[in-house]
Order: sequence, then structure tokens, then C-alpha cells
Amino acid sequence: MKIEEVIRTVNQMKADRIIANYAIGGAVGATFYLEPVSTLDVDIFIEVHAMAGSSIISLDPIFSYLREHGCKMEGEYIVISGWPVQFLPASGPLLEEALDNAVEVDVDGEPVRVLTAEYLAAIALQTGRAKDKARLLQFIEAHALDRTKFEELVKRHQLVDRWRDFQQQFLNEE
Amino acid sequence: MSFDWQKVSESKQAYRRKLCALPIAEKLRLLDAIRERAVAIRAANHRQGIQVQEQPPDYGKKS
Repeated sequence: MKIEEVIRTVNQMKADRIIANYAIGGAVGATFYLEPVSTLDVDIFIEVHAMAGSSIISLDPIFSYLREHGCKMEGEYIVISGWPVQFLPASGPLLEEALDNAVEVDVDGEPVRVLTAEYLAAIALQTGRAKDKARLLQFIEAHALDRTKFEELVKRHQLVDRWRDFQQQFLNEE
Repeated sequence: MSFDWQKVSESKQAYRRKLCALPIAEKLRLLDAIRERAVAIRAANHRQGIQVQEQPPDYGKKS
């Protein structure tokens, strides 16, 4: 199983106009800034628009394309090179902004778009599970965040109360 | 016999900094290896009837 194959496949999807824009998020995205940690899937945020005359967003074109290229569905995941992948519509202001501000990184000659550390941290704060709080703490302890940019995101996306609670609980800050 | 926990902690932090600083291609290869191991462990736990629940993310939920 190889993540680099996942990246090549997603880039090919973009070249074939199956997706317009994408960025890797979640634990794999965090790996670009932190130590590698165990994760079982790849979260890929995508720009998706509802079909004309409908409010429904369909990922069918993505799944059809990948099935034609030998990938198999497993529940809500599509398996690419052994990795379960979730394509997640970037819905909501924070995710849309995160996708727009994603950066391109070179991985052994293959470009890949990934969310920035500040957006990954803000999304973790917003999502709020125990593992998201652990990831946010990792970003802070590794000094991987631009705190000014992060705190601007916190203010802009109404996460101030959550951030204050997090600081009090884990950082002895206020 | 006593442990120097301070040294143990510093050593772990130094190792984590080293992992953080690896080239991204190397980190992704490590992810591949870590996942293979995690899948094997899950399969073994499943055979023994041990289940681990993972709460799915609720991306985009309003705060």
C-alpha cells in the first residue's frame, strides 16, 4: 500500500477534470508538518458543486472513474493502492477557505496539495473529538503553527470559546 | 536501580523532533509501514473479539 500512488491517482483525476481542486487533510495532511502517526485512511477535501437544478452533491463521477481504474469501494471509502480514501466536500466557510489556501508540496517529483498547518489545527479545534484535540496539541508542542495566523482563523470562524476552553484545559494559558 | 525520567523524556522529544524533520517522502513511507502494522493488529484483535471504535469526524459542524 502506498500513499504516493494515492497522490498520483488524485493528480490524474484533476488532470482528467474529474475533480477541480483538492487538498489532503486529516492525519495524513498533519504528517506534512508533524511526526508520522498511525492512521487508517486518507481524507481528501474537494471542491464540489451541486448538480444543476438540484441541491444534492454527488460523488458518483469520482467513484465511477476510480472503479474504472480498478479501485474498489469499501463502505464509504474507495480503496486506492491499499489505502481507504474518503473524498469530503469542503462544505462550510472554514473548509472552503482551507481548500482555497492549500499549499502545493513536492513529494519525490510529484506535486500534492495539502491544507496548511493553521487550517488543519483550526479544523481539529472545530471538529473537537479527543483525537482532534490531541492533534492540535501536537501542532502546538511541535511549534508547527504560526500562532498569529491560527488565532486569526479562530476569531474569523467563531472558535474563540473553543480555543479558550482548550487553552485552559491543556496549556494553562488564557 | 533508578531511571532518569528527565533523560528518557528528553530522548523521546529529540526522537519526535527528528521524525518531524524527515523529508516528506520518507514520512509518507513511514505512514505506509505504520498502517500495514495497524491493519495487522486490528485483524488480530478482531479474531480475538476485541473491537476498537473510532468516532467519525463531523467536519464543518458549527461551533
